[in-house]
Amino acid sequence: MAKVVVTPETFAFVSFDANHIVELTGKIADKVGLPADTEIRIEIDETTPLGRTKLLSLDPITLAVEGGSFEDAKRPRQLSDTSVIDVVGRLLFRAKDRLDAGFAAAPDDDALTLQQHTAWDTYAVGRCDRAGWAPQKKRRLYHFRNRHGFTDVADAAFDRLWNADGLTWADLEAACAETEAARVPAG
Amino acid sequence: MKKILPPEELARDSRFVRLSMEDRFSDRRSPGGGGSTSGRTGPTKLTPDAPQAPDRARALMHGIFVGEIQALEGAGRTCWDFEVGPHFDEVPFALKLDMARQCWDEARHCEISIKLSEWMGTELGEFAESTFLYEAACNPDPVLRLTGVNRALEGLAIDVFNTMREFGQSAGDPVLEFCEDWMLADEVTHVKMGSDWLRRITEKDPDRRERALEFQRVVDKLFSLGGFRGEDDDSPIRLARKFREMAGFTHEEVDEISDLSKQARAEGEARLAQANAS
Repeated sequence: MAKVVVTPETFAFVSFDANHIVELTGKIADKVGLPADTEIRIEIDETTPLGRTKLLSLDPITLAVEGGSFEDAKRPRQLSDTSVIDVVGRLLFRAKDRLDAGFAAAPDDDALTLQQHTAWDTYAVGRCDRAGWAPQKKRRLYHFRNRHGFTDVADAAFDRLWNADGLTWADLEAACAETEAARVPAG
Repeated sequence: MKKILPPEELARDSRFVRLSMEDRFSDRRSPGGGGSTSGRTGPTKLTPDAPQAPDRARALMHGIFVGEIQALEGAGRTCWDFEVGPHFDEVPFALKLDMARQCWDEARHCEISIKLSEWMGTELGEFAESTFLYEAACNPDPVLRLTGVNRALEGLAIDVFNTMREFGQSAGDPVLEFCEDWMLADEVTHVKMGSDWLRRITEKDPDRRERALEFQRVVDKLFSLGGFRGEDDDSPIRLARKFREMAGFTHEEVDEISDLSKQARAEGEARLAQANAS
């Protein structure tokens, strides 16, 4: 199982359990298919209820998350396993992709467009679905439509990315180009 | 059947979890509570190109959905809680008819919101429910009740629906745009009912009218939340001046809400600046 470190170890603003997050992350990393000696760091900013998340680095794999992304939307300040799996699963699949030669040409996360981000997330969350984590597919479809257009072409691209395995950065770029060409200007 | 049903007795199934105002405002992560500001300097406009826009829109529309349920419950209770008559704790029969019509509208809004939630990928009860709208509908004075709910909170609904209609338009989301447009049309009528009944019932009672307007100011200030609603370009929710005037607000009354919003924004920014400095 991967070596996981969560910071901070104890929480003052929220009722999170670092050991439980370590345990969940180890199991997720195994299912994602990361090597057993992978080092993963999760840096949690517990002082904000916002929910931004980011893959900071690959060696070690470092995820930066705002506390809101791990919490239960119905019970503020409480840890939600579903939320942890949703965020960590998605980001670890992205990390795994980035470690693959097929994604060597992908720009840094900060340089990705919203369309590229969402296409990559769709590809990652689709694999989370097949790992048995039951993510919110309709929520992801709504994100995708917002970024790629409310068109049949965008819906078909979503289905393709969701169900895919073994894609490369070029495949994601092609999907983005395809939906862009079909976009009807809003308004 | 009980009169003035307390908020904690509202019927909900197991999908819904309630969050009290105390819980919401005692969260230490709020600006001024010791939490970080994540570099924020003030409110940010909800536009489709904002990174978290789809999820912010989903959460906001879920808040509107539970607000519709409570508006239905509130209007229904107003039909039931007061007898017909001319006294302080009574209401004209025509007011009850207006509330019955509003019940029908709110029930339809619940149905629209359920379908909209499904479209946006939101599960019913996915987010915690605040019962502030229904709490305003528990005021024992029917005039204050209508002023707080129909003018302040339904007025806020006008601002939200108009903003989200524009959001749907710029995102190219036809379902969101049309749902908001249809509900907006009804909200204008509901606010107009509040404005008309306030003026008619308090025509010869200026003190009661002033108490009602003061109650409205308190609710309006509370829900301008650090600049959440205002007339600035970057206000997350824009004050819908034209629709409010159609709903019976005078130009001066809209100016007053705008000023309250500016004040709430300045207070919120001061809290953020203090948090950033510490």
